[in-house]
Amino acid sequence: MKINENRCTGCGQCVLVCPVQAIHIVDNIARLSNKKCVECNVCYRNAQCPVNAIRPTRLKWPRLVRNPFSDVISTHKLTGVAGRGTEEMKTNDVTNRFEFGEVGVSIELGRPGLGTKLANVELFTLKLSKIGVTYEKASPLSALIIDEVGHLKEDVKNEYVLSAIIEFKIPHEKLPEVLRIIKEIENVIDTTFTVGIISRVNDNGKIPIVKNLEDMGFFVRSNAKINIGLGHI
Amino acid sequence: MTHSLHRIGRESDLKEDYVILAMVARGLNDTNPEAREKLIKIGEILEQHNPTNMIIKPAWKVSTVIQGAFENKKDVKDVLKVLKKEDLGVSIVVSGLVSEITQVLKDIDLKPHTIHLSLGVFGKKERLPSEEILELTTMCGHHCISSQSVENYVNLIKKGKISVEKAAEKLAKPCVCGIFNPKRAVIILKKLTVK
Repeated sequence: MKINENRCTGCGQCVLVCPVQAIHIVDNIARLSNKKCVECNVCYRNAQCPVNAIRPTRLKWPRLVRNPFSDVISTHKLTGVAGRGTEEMKTNDVTNRFEFGEVGVSIELGRPGLGTKLANVELFTLKLSKIGVTYEKASPLSALIIDEVGHLKEDVKNEYVLSAIIEFKIPHEKLPEVLRIIKEIENVIDTTFTVGIISRVNDNGKIPIVKNLEDMGFFVRSNAKINIGLGHI
Repeated sequence: MTHSLHRIGRESDLKEDYVILAMVARGLNDTNPEAREKLIKIGEILEQHNPTNMIIKPAWKVSTVIQGAFENKKDVKDVLKVLKKEDLGVSIVVSGLVSEITQVLKDIDLKPHTIHLSLGVFGKKERLPSEEILELTTMCGHHCISSQSVENYVNLIKKGKISVEKAAEKLAKPCVCGIFNPKRAVIILKKLTVK
């Protein structure tokens, strides 16, 4: 993203809409921090700049990687879905991606709203790969993991994004190990992250993993996403 | 895309906040020629049941998802009743309070298939804005709504320069998915502006 400082009148509309506070008014002109900008295009679409001073720029690698993890309209080639995630449980009644006895996990780094350096992803992937999780192949993040150890492509680690979702599945028995990793990393990471847990629901309406989660000291929020089983081929 | 999962709020407030999403599965039921027609039909069904917000119309022709926000359980139930009857084969996901959604499903003889639970936020939470601001910003799961934008509208409302309803409408705009619930935003903004 670029703000044409010769055109800018310093009205500050772009400052207000920037989700990561990458724009500040200095000497009556909007200045964009290239380091903090996550290339989400929110300012371009929503600031209603009165002098059209905001323009997206042609991004080159590795900065290019910021866009699909930040711009909701950007569709990643791997997922075919706009946004930074995948179909995950949303189509599970058709794909059967998560079966009984399996648990899906989504760890979204940088959410809600702080953003993250992609290097933070490696804090998780190095530990998760060690215990043997199955990463979601269609996730844009999986394409950046270069080996079985969980290393990320070196040249993307310094890139900032609005959020990055680590999506994977595990057998039910491995859930305590994953929860332990989450607790460890919570204490060392410099941003926030959200955690989602996916499970099939038993015929009697019971969700078998809830007790495991509570036993490990995790609080399960009262709102969730529920696939209601109307999908079929 | 866990975008409607981690909406922050008290249980009593979340009773007035639901998202219904329809999605076709890539390579499975998105390829048949009727898939687009089905998604558009679902869009029309949602539209007929008082959504407080919806994905913009031009996106209906290209998006793999169609979704809308709702403010009460009755409308959600009515939508699901029609979708069950139509049996379009498109996956439907409802976000909101588990207890309320489960009751709706029971009433119309449907069962939850898969659930995505939220364990909440971890890490450097001290860097986050206040809970009330997060109640608004997390209604856009892709976080396209900034906290300073909320603060700006709160100030403008307090100064009498904009109505609460207009501010809620303006806050909803960056959420292109159409899941930001402006009706709930009005309630939150009223709380924020009496302080």
